[in-house]
Amino acid sequence: MAAIFPSPEWLQILSDKLNSDERYAQIARNWEGDMCVVIEPSGPLTEKQQYYLDLWHGKCRKVQILKDMSSVQPKFILTATYDNISRIMKGQLDPMTAMMTRKLQVQGSMAYMMRNVPTVLDFVRCARDVTTEILT
Amino acid sequence: MQPILKVNLTSGETEEYVIPAEWENDYLGGASLAARLLYTVLTRDLDPVSQESPLLLLNGPLSGTAGPTVGRFVVCGKSPATELWAESNCGGFWGPELRFCGYDGLWITGKADTPVYLWLNNDRLEVRDARNVWGKDTYESQEIIKSEIGVPGMHVLTIGPAGEIGVLFAGLYCDHGRAAGRTGLGMVAGSKNLKAIAVKGTKKIPLAQPELFAPLRSAANHALKEDNLCHVYHELGTASVVDYADYLGGLPKKYFRSGTFESVGKVSGATMAETILAGTSACHACVIACGRVVRLEDGAKRKGPEYETIVSFGPDLLIDDLAAITRLGELCDRYGMDTISAGGTLGLAFHLFEKGVITTKDTGGLVLRWGDVKPVEQLLHLTAHREGIGEFLAQGSRRFGQHFGAEEEAVQVNGLEVAYHDPRAYSGMALVYATSPRGACHNQSQYFLVDMGQADASLGLEFYDRHAGAEKAANVARYQDWQTVFNALVMCIFANVPVETITGLINTACSLDWGPEDLFRAGERAWNLKRAINNRLGLTRANDKLPKAFLAPYQDGGSAGYVPPFNEMLEAYYTARGWDPVTGKPTSNKLAELGLEWVAQDIWK
Repeated sequence: MAAIFPSPEWLQILSDKLNSDERYAQIARNWEGDMCVVIEPSGPLTEKQQYYLDLWHGKCRKVQILKDMSSVQPKFILTATYDNISRIMKGQLDPMTAMMTRKLQVQGSMAYMMRNVPTVLDFVRCARDVTTEILT
Repeated sequence: MQPILKVNLTSGETEEYVIPAEWENDYLGGASLAARLLYTVLTRDLDPVSQESPLLLLNGPLSGTAGPTVGRFVVCGKSPATELWAESNCGGFWGPELRFCGYDGLWITGKADTPVYLWLNNDRLEVRDARNVWGKDTYESQEIIKSEIGVPGMHVLTIGPAGEIGVLFAGLYCDHGRAAGRTGLGMVAGSKNLKAIAVKGTKKIPLAQPELFAPLRSAANHALKEDNLCHVYHELGTASVVDYADYLGGLPKKYFRSGTFESVGKVSGATMAETILAGTSACHACVIACGRVVRLEDGAKRKGPEYETIVSFGPDLLIDDLAAITRLGELCDRYGMDTISAGGTLGLAFHLFEKGVITTKDTGGLVLRWGDVKPVEQLLHLTAHREGIGEFLAQGSRRFGQHFGAEEEAVQVNGLEVAYHDPRAYSGMALVYATSPRGACHNQSQYFLVDMGQADASLGLEFYDRHAGAEKAANVARYQDWQTVFNALVMCIFANVPVETITGLINTACSLDWGPEDLFRAGERAWNLKRAINNRLGLTRANDKLPKAFLAPYQDGGSAGYVPPFNEMLEAYYTARGWDPVTGKPTSNKLAELGLEWVAQDIWK
C-alpha cells in the first residue's frame, strides 16, 4: 500500500507500519505518550494539517486527523512548515538537525524527549519508509 | 568601547588605556581583542607566574546589555599549564558589573608584597589587604569581602586555595560557582598575591544606536526563549545531553577506555530534574537559565553540576551517584580548581593504578577503585594542598603522567585535559581538540553539536555524518571561526541565535555595517592570530595531535569500532586553513588576506 504524504491514508499506513515493525517495537518499548504533528502551510500545502498519534509501548493505538486540538492534550506537539517536514520525510533533513536549527519546534517534556531520542529517530525512520509519494 | 584599567600590583600605579579604534573593529572584544593586546607581551621566555606576566580580564561590545546571553567576560594571559595562549570565560554577573564601572577590562601585572584584593567602585580603585581571606575557599572569600565592603549589588571574582598554592588548573570564580576554570589563570592571579577583585558600577553601557539595538535584542531574546535547545537547557541544564551523548558513544567512561556504563542514566540531566533539582540559576540577563540548583540530603540548596562536571566525576570514574558528583564538583569550586582538569587528572591516576603503574605506596595508602567516591574526595583534598601524591596531581595529567613514566596514557593535548566529548563519536572533535589555541578544549568549538545535528545551513555549515572524515575539515574550521566570534563578544555558546540577529546587534551596538561574512572573517582573523601567538611560544605542527586513547576503538557502545582518520583530517584542515604543512604556521598569504601582514613579518622573519 502506498499513499501520498500528507493524507489520511498516509497516516493510517504509518500506523500500520508502527504496529508491525519489530525494530520500532523494540526501541520504543518504554515509550508512553501521544503526540500531535502540526504541519504549517508552505509550498504546495495551503492548509494547516494536524495529525494525532497515540503511541504506547512500541505500538500505535490510535491515529486521527484533527481540525483543532481542543479535544486532545498530547504529551508532545511537533510543529514545522510543510517544506521542512517534507525534507525530513525525503531524507534531506536530519530530524535532529531540524530540532537543533529552529526548523522543527517541540513542545512537551524535554526530559522525556532527551531520554528517548532513539525512539524519536526510529519513529522518523518508519515515517520515511512509508513515504513513497509526496505532495509537490 | 570603554577604556581598560591597567593595574600594576608591584608599584600600585594605575593607568587608563584606550583601545585603538581599528583594533575594536578588527577584533570586536573579548578573547580576540585580548589576543591583539597581548601579542607582543606573550613571549617564549615569559614566566606565566612572573610579575611581568599579564592577567587580562575583558568584556565584549555586548557585555552587560540585555542582549541574548551576553553576560560573560574572559580572562586571558599565558597558561602555566600549557605555556601557550590562555583564555577562559565565565558567566555570572561580574563582567557586566565591571562594565558598569566604566571599564571594559582590567589588565593586571606585578605582584603585591602581601595578599590583596582590588575594590573597584565605579572609577575609584582601592587595593585592600586580603590577608584575612587568604586561605579561604571561593565561597567564603566572596562572602567575607562582600561583608567587608558592604555595598549592595557588588560582585566578587576570587581564587581559592588552589590558586594561592599553585595548582596548575586553578581558576577564578564568582557568583556561587561560576568559573573561569581552564588553563590555570587562577594560579597566575595567586602568583601576584591577588586574591580577588570586587566590582560595583552604576554607569550606562555605551551603545552606538540604542534605539535600534533595543527592539533587536528584545526580539532576539523572545526568539531564543522559543528555541528547542533553550527549552532543553532550561529544563535539564547542560546535562540534558547525557542520554543522547551516551547513545552515540560520545560520553567518556572509565577514563575514556570503556564504551559502556550501564548506570549513565542515573546521572543525566533528566534524572537530576526528577530527583534533586530545586531550581535554576541564570547569568546576567539570560533567558536560558541553564544553571542548576539542587537540594541534597542535608536540605541545603547548592549549585548542581553541569555536563562536564557530571562526566568528570561520574561515568569517567564509573561513579553513578548524582549527590556525590554534586559534592565533588562543589569541592573543586570551593578550592578553585577546574573540574574538567581535576577529574581528568584523577582519572589518569585511577587508570595507572589499575595498570599497576602506581600503587598504594604512591597514593599514601589509598586504593583507587573505579566507582569509589571516597578516594576521589581524598585526592582532591591532597591536590588542593599539594600534599603527598597531590603534589603531582596538582600539575595536571601531562606532568603527572611524565612523573610516573606514562605521559602517553594521559588524555590531554598540549597540557590541557580533554573535555568530555569523545572524538570517536564526533569525529570533528578530533580536529577541535588538536588545533584549539588553548589545548584540548570544547569551548573553542562545540563541534560535537554539529556532529549531533546542529549543522545550521544559515551559518554556511554542511551536514556530514558524525563519522565522516577529511571532508568535514573546512566545516570544522568555519565553525571554529564562528565560535571565536562568540568568544569575542563574549557570548554564551549555548545561545542558538541566528547569525543575522547577532550581526544586527553588533552593528547597532558598535555602529558598524557588517554582514555575516564580516563576522566570520573577524573570527578567522582572531583564530589565526592566536595560532601565531602560539607559534611564537614554540607551537609547531607536532603539537597538533590526539591522545593515544582516541586512536584505539571502543569495543562496545554507540561508537564501537570507530577511530577518526586523524592524519587525513589534519591534512585537509591545514589546506582549509591556509596553514603551512611543515611548520604549522599560517602562511603569509593567509595572514595578508586577513589583514595580518604585520604578523607575517614577525613569524616568518
